[in-house]
Amino acid sequence: MTPTIPEILAGNAAALSSQAARDDAGDYLASRIGILATLSILAIQEVENGVAARVAENAAIRALFGEALAYDAELLGRLKDATAQTDHNLALSALDAANAELRRLLIALHEKVEAAPDGALEKKILGLYVEMARGRRLVLPGG
Amino acid sequence: MSGQSVVQRLTEYLSRVWAAPVIIEAFARIPGGASRETYRFDAIVAGRRHPLILRRDPPGSLIETDRRSEFLAIRSFHGKDVAAPEALILEEEGAELERPFFIMGRIEGGHASSPFAPNAYGVHAQAIGEQFFSMLGRIAGADAASLPIATVAAAPEPDACWRRELDYWANVIETDQQHPQPIVWAAIRRLRRDPPPPARKVCVVHGDYRSGNFMHDDAGKIVAILDWEMAHLGDPHEDLGWAMNPLWNHFDDTCVAGTVSKADAIGYWERASGLNVDPAALAWWELFASVKGQAIWISSAKEYRDSGLTEPILAFSGWYTARRQDEILADALAALEAA
Repeated sequence: MTPTIPEILAGNAAALSSQAARDDAGDYLASRIGILATLSILAIQEVENGVAARVAENAAIRALFGEALAYDAELLGRLKDATAQTDHNLALSALDAANAELRRLLIALHEKVEAAPDGALEKKILGLYVEMARGRRLVLPGG
Repeated sequence: MSGQSVVQRLTEYLSRVWAAPVIIEAFARIPGGASRETYRFDAIVAGRRHPLILRRDPPGSLIETDRRSEFLAIRSFHGKDVAAPEALILEEEGAELERPFFIMGRIEGGHASSPFAPNAYGVHAQAIGEQFFSMLGRIAGADAASLPIATVAAAPEPDACWRRELDYWANVIETDQQHPQPIVWAAIRRLRRDPPPPARKVCVVHGDYRSGNFMHDDAGKIVAILDWEMAHLGDPHEDLGWAMNPLWNHFDDTCVAGTVSKADAIGYWERASGLNVDPAALAWWELFASVKGQAIWISSAKEYRDSGLTEPILAFSGWYTARRQDEILADALAALEAA
């Protein structure tokens, strides 16, 4: 997965508290500090939006599974179980763990859909990808 | 050797190699990505000042590239009107500097713009774009077999260029992904289902030719093409697809590389290369470019963790750039399906 907020903040703290080598002074250090600042600002966005984005993505994937239940017998049991779940634990780590399982199922489903082929469900899956990616969008400072 | 500074080690090395006393001045690290440590310095020998760049492997490398290949790629195009620096010394065993490195001439009077800076080229965008895509055309149009890089870079068969690259980067994703990636895997499957036509010419591929990897003088002139570490031989559309990826368009969808329209870019490239763009091939390599990009960002995230969270540029690449690349991929897949 992309680096987590705890990792980003821990990495930033370590970078800021470490002693820079003399050779690193100047452009390199200025660039490095700029990146640390940008990471901090992006972390604000993730703190604000990260839980909602994951809850929404997990729900959207489960909803899609609900439409595919009559489609593939092999995946049926796993899709049914996933569709019946909800996210009670809203810690980012718990949401990410649930998301990982949902994404694995989504990949398996998409492969079946491509093999069938099922153009209607394919279109829904691709639309879901757009929704997922936009839901996780980060905006650079000044953007 | 431990306890000696890089400057001390470099002074010893150059004095030995050049068989003359060398004085190093103005030694400083400069930003240059996470895959190499990059330093600028002046070497004074026999009363003459040489402005130079040192590129050294870090303790752990993000992209497993061959420094000999990078060195010879630069040497292949120095003096050929593509603003390649002069490659001077290659030390693959590290010697006094302990890790592999090479030294090249430093080009003054320019800087690289961030590809995430809006309107980076201002009133000079047209001039920059013409030079940028013309230089790429000259790289593609060159006779690869006659160049130094051909001594180390294997030339794939024209119908195998796509598979070699896609297999390589798909394997990087398979190895380094730490969370399931449905979007990029959907793109990979699509690329495999509909491969491109065979390359009409196997040429030198820069491998990372994009906005942010060239220096310009803020007056409309490109003074250096940088970062040749992923150079290889392959399909000329590969570099075009990469250069035109929306990730490098400075948030302006009306142009490519933050400079000129896609049609103009292709025109400059065709005139300079003597080749014609195959639209079907370019479409394939454009989608591939996003797959390759995502592979690099996924590796960045893994490397950030594996190296103890010490390199913020890896965090940025593995986080912001990865999220943006997923959006580009998803939009591309949806557009292809709708077409």
